[in-house]
Amino acid sequence: MSRPRAEGPRAGFALEGDVLRCRGDWTVREIAPVEREFERSEASRSRVSAIDASGISALDTAGVVLLRRIAAKLGHDGRASEVSGLRPEHRALVSFVESAEREDGESAEAPRSALERVGEAAWRAAIGSGRLLGFVGEVAVVALRTLASPSRIRWRPILFNVRTAGFDALPITGLLCFLMGIVIAYQGATQLERYGANIFVADLVGLAMLRELSPLLTAIIVAGRSGSAYAAQIGTMKVTEEIDALRTVGIAPIELLVLPKILALSIALPLLTVYADVLGVAGGMLMAHSELDVGYADFLDRLQRALRLSDFLVGIGKAPIFAAIIAVIGCHQGFEVAGDAESVGHRTTVSVVRAIFFVIVTDALFSVAFNALGI
Amino acid sequence: MAVTSPRPLVEVRDVHTRFGRSIVHAGVSLEVREGEIFALAGASGCGKSTLLREIIGLQQPQRGSIRVFGREVVGIDDEAALSLRRDWGVLFERGALFGSLTVAENVGLPLREHTDLDDALVDEIAAVKIALTGLPSGAASKYPSELSGGMRKRAALARAIALDPRLLFLDEPTAGLDPLSATGFEALVRHLKEALGLSILMVTHDLDLLWHVADRVAFMVEGRIVGIGTMEELSVSEQPLVREYFHGPRGRAAREQAWKPR
Repeated sequence: MSRPRAEGPRAGFALEGDVLRCRGDWTVREIAPVEREFERSEASRSRVSAIDASGISALDTAGVVLLRRIAAKLGHDGRASEVSGLRPEHRALVSFVESAEREDGESAEAPRSALERVGEAAWRAAIGSGRLLGFVGEVAVVALRTLASPSRIRWRPILFNVRTAGFDALPITGLLCFLMGIVIAYQGATQLERYGANIFVADLVGLAMLRELSPLLTAIIVAGRSGSAYAAQIGTMKVTEEIDALRTVGIAPIELLVLPKILALSIALPLLTVYADVLGVAGGMLMAHSELDVGYADFLDRLQRALRLSDFLVGIGKAPIFAAIIAVIGCHQGFEVAGDAESVGHRTTVSVVRAIFFVIVTDALFSVAFNALGI
Repeated sequence: MAVTSPRPLVEVRDVHTRFGRSIVHAGVSLEVREGEIFALAGASGCGKSTLLREIIGLQQPQRGSIRVFGREVVGIDDEAALSLRRDWGVLFERGALFGSLTVAENVGLPLREHTDLDDALVDEIAAVKIALTGLPSGAASKYPSELSGGMRKRAALARAIALDPRLLFLDEPTAGLDPLSATGFEALVRHLKEALGLSILMVTHDLDLLWHVADRVAFMVEGRIVGIGTMEELSVSEQPLVREYFHGPRGRAAREQAWKPR
């Protein structure tokens, strides 16, 4: 081996009078102890007039950096102290490193202050909201244009998306809403039993599931399942320049990628919500039977009287709005991807968090509005 | 020039590789000597990149022996592989810089991982490596996605030489670069090789690179080496496959260029 390592002489230095003598292999693997030793030793504080490097048996660029650093530290009046005795090939390496550094005139960017960073973050957030608004507008324009000539509606991707976002989500949505029905009935049971109002468990489960929990829970599941998938799919297409390719062959990416997703989700989410309603109530009914001794027939009978049609419609009516929110945010985050795989992951996360946030905020606004309207 | 040592740095003996039913290597043998720039050339899909992956231990051949620094890498265990890997640097075709780290952090990563140098010294060494590859120091604090293709290649090269390796592997070093950047990169590779005493094994189908940079070239066709030698030797080879490659219009142009005084 041309550059012996572990078996080579250990790197080090010794102070003799006012000369610092270096020896051994000054290579990237060996210099870590030298560096620490130097910081601790008296050599770093005493007056050293010269550095004798004739004992250095092997040198690489890391060694050069350390040698230069030591020379700079030992020098005075702003001048590095002299390094002498380097072997010719080592001297060549030192001047190679120095020449590379000299060529470089550009100075590194100065670190920014906290205030500047806060301002920049705020500005980015404002720009981001503006862009989301712009995206919504763009989608609306494309949607109107497409609806004006219905032959341009792409049914295949719509049906495909109905299947992946709707049908494929049936098991998980059903299971979670069924469990939610059980939980509500169970929590209500202890309270209702105290008043002997067992039968009102039907009101509790029916109203809670139909009006609030089914649409909300379904929307959250779909945001996690499909909203993220939209962001990742469009984001990856952006990274691989497929979006640009679509534009060059004269297909509007929004028409092909976004509109079908919004339409598909607006169809699938209400259907999923109905299904979730059924299973949620079924869960509550099962619990009412086993915990409160409310028979299935009694439960259904009470349910019919407790619920108005408007309760059902309020729940279902929210679903298309949630669907639009999830699809638009997912797709928008996909289009916001810039550069690399890292960005795809980040945007996917943002899409889910933001979609769930907006779904819940919208749900709260709906509650206030329905309350005011007395529905 | 190159000081030939008795022991080759890389020694590939009779390597056979198959993916399912397709044969990638049917008995490949070659050696890379100390201090030379050795190029593995051939058309796309001839198995040269796979051979490189096998030499650096990312993939295993079915049969044969690959020795790097005199140590067998076929069937090597992880610990031994790690100590070998510290002695070589790899430049991947698309750079493979870590997107979540700045250029300086990318270059400093191997140093932080494999040495106990303190942070300030690591940063200093990383800055030197970045300067050596001809990048402006302003590039150090940038993320890979903010760099152009040529700068990204240089940053990736800076990471490959972070630990001052003795052996450098370059996978298609000029692929995806414009002619001017490619020429600059050629010069950089030669310059670094001389200054840092590197040996280089590169995989390429860039004829200019073969003429200007490589000391010796192995020419691979469908999993076999059909010719090894300097470009001058290969260009007068009687082997029909080699002739076809070097005497096509592009091959001739690259050769004429290489003969012009530079």
